Amino acid sequence: MANETVLICEDSLDGVFTGIYEAYRFKKDNAVESHDLIHLAVKEPSAQRLFTDYINIETSPEKAAKVSRTLKKSLGETTYHNLCLAASATFEEKADAVYHTVVLGLKEHDANVLDRLYDSYVQSAFKCYRAAGNEANHFIEFTRFSELDNGILYAKISAKHHVLPFVMYHFADRLPANNFVIYDEAAQTFGLHPSFKAWYLAQGMNFDENSINYSDTEKEYQELFKRFCSSIAIEERKNLSLQQSLLPLRFRPNMTEFHV
Amino acid sequence: MQLLESTSVELYNPQRKSIMEKLSILTDAAKYDVACTSSGVERAGNGRDMGNCKAAGICHSFSSDGRCISLLKILMSNECVYDCKYCANRRSNDIERATFTPDEICELTINFYKRNYIEGLFLSSGIVNNPSYTMELLYVTLYKLRHEYRFRGYIHVKGIPGADAALIRQTGYLADRMSVNLELPTAESLERLAPNKHRKTILTPMRQIQNGIEQGKNELALYKNAPTFVPAGQSTQMIIGATPESDYQIMSVAEGLYDKFGLKRVFYSAYVGINEDKELPAPQTASPLLREHRLYQADWLLRFYRFRVDELLSEKRPNFNILLDPKCDWALRHLEQFPVEINKADYSMLLRVPGVGVKSAQRICKARRSGVLCFDDLKKMGVVLKRALYFITCGGRMMYNTKLDEDYITRNLLSAQEKLPFDKDGITYKQLSLFDCVGQL
Repeated sequence: MANETVLICEDSLDGVFTGIYEAYRFKKDNAVESHDLIHLAVKEPSAQRLFTDYINIETSPEKAAKVSRTLKKSLGETTYHNLCLAASATFEEKADAVYHTVVLGLKEHDANVLDRLYDSYVQSAFKCYRAAGNEANHFIEFTRFSELDNGILYAKISAKHHVLPFVMYHFADRLPANNFVIYDEAAQTFGLHPSFKAWYLAQGMNFDENSINYSDTEKEYQELFKRFCSSIAIEERKNLSLQQSLLPLRFRPNMTEFHV
Repeated sequence: MQLLESTSVELYNPQRKSIMEKLSILTDAAKYDVACTSSGVERAGNGRDMGNCKAAGICHSFSSDGRCISLLKILMSNECVYDCKYCANRRSNDIERATFTPDEICELTINFYKRNYIEGLFLSSGIVNNPSYTMELLYVTLYKLRHEYRFRGYIHVKGIPGADAALIRQTGYLADRMSVNLELPTAESLERLAPNKHRKTILTPMRQIQNGIEQGKNELALYKNAPTFVPAGQSTQMIIGATPESDYQIMSVAEGLYDKFGLKRVFYSAYVGINEDKELPAPQTASPLLREHRLYQADWLLRFYRFRVDELLSEKRPNFNILLDPKCDWALRHLEQFPVEINKADYSMLLRVPGVGVKSAQRICKARRSGVLCFDDLKKMGVVLKRALYFITCGGRMMYNTKLDEDYITRNLLSAQEKLPFDKDGITYKQLSLFDCVGQL
């Protein structure tokens, strides 16, 4: 039996795409028979297996860009978008799932490779992009901005998957004229959108939430919205369990209408 | 008056109501309207003004009754010259009245929207003076919001029956969705409970909007930049349970509206007793929530699952089964069409299998083009196997050794328990089933 190889890449979009590049190169350089003998992982396994080589991969934006260009060209925008969503999930199997889905898609020249749900790699890629996509949608719905005294809109979220870019994309289209910031507490990442300019992500900024000054009218609008939410409910139909299944508790700490 | 002001005597003055008071009153007055969706139109941002729209619609929050909050749902005014028996805002009710100015509505919308509280505005109104005057108020508000505040988000506005046709037309160019409420399923009920409204005055603007949408599409084909008329289509709503119509009558009306008036949605609103009147159910009567739920399920079957009302109900069986959802109920009465082979059956038959939804049916069709599916794959695609397993085969085999027998399957489906959107809080399922049974005995 031939040895298997696991390439360990960084847990980011560029990291996974670099991993895919390196996997193809590894196969070619070492004349590996099949992609089935190569796997990607985003972190060191807790217990290493026998007859398996582990190689760490250094992330390279250039290699990642090459991969993303190829994917866009050969698999189309929709599939590319879904693969990016899958790569942003926090499931451990995501890198391997994306890699082998790409292998299948390129081999079969199939832009709709994600429809092949009988394949186990496609199944786990599907699981990843569905979970990340759902969460991105939730934050598009439940993110709440507050207006600061300098006019900037500020929101805080706490995401399970790395969906901040998808959320930023949505709000940049919606509020092109506004300066706004979305802070993902879980990933300690800021998404910044300057008025009429392209948005970007930033990490490692010094930030103290208590030093924020809100605008004069902010409190009033928050109170107005809370009042709206309470008067729109029909008392005779009260159904807290339905409310909770549609709007899980984990989103509520950052939502205006649930602040006491 | 001046004298009073100078001596600072505070008399009651409706102009003095704060925005907060107005918002409470006019939200409370609008809460029974159910058409709170923001779907049906895809409009990207233009890179300059605030707002865009997503075709699937976006819910921003859920109120304590579990209904979605998508739009700022308010009345322009709860003053009303009509006296509809079921309505909280009827003329003869002694309630606090308030009226928003167009600017107040615009400010609220813009400020809520930029904080991502809402997806847009839902504007309705009581009848102030007369229908045309009211429609004009709505038009002025929308005009300001679109042209002065340059808002590109979603707007749903009510068409006021009996208003001037030109006003409805002009408003339609500013809104994404328009709706005219049918209020009650039949003309007789309408006459009894809403003496100031007539079937004809309701259907006229509905037809006008339908024609406008049709014409708008033709114009768009000719001129790319022609203004769009009600691009998200029109909807309507009916009150359920205030009058004695059967489910069959209600669904037939809904089907007629979809077929003949090209409606996007028909909403059903379980009657909540607010007014005491000899024509109405007693105020403490429980809201028919389960019935409303069944009607929505059937409505989905009409719109997405290619069912017709006559397949689901008939003169002899005029009401839905309270124990089973309409699709399971249909499947159990048509066991001769099952089991269905997942790898071969056509799309419309897949849609009829209990436990298979639109998305999973589409996924099945796409996946089987290049491979063979097994039960495990179906589960990962989102098929609810605990319901589907009695009706399907994969590669010629059933999942377990189950019988294709009506009683046997019914027993098993009932023990698997349908997930209903309401149970422990508030009105229970048991209370309702007792109440609903009376008509069927």
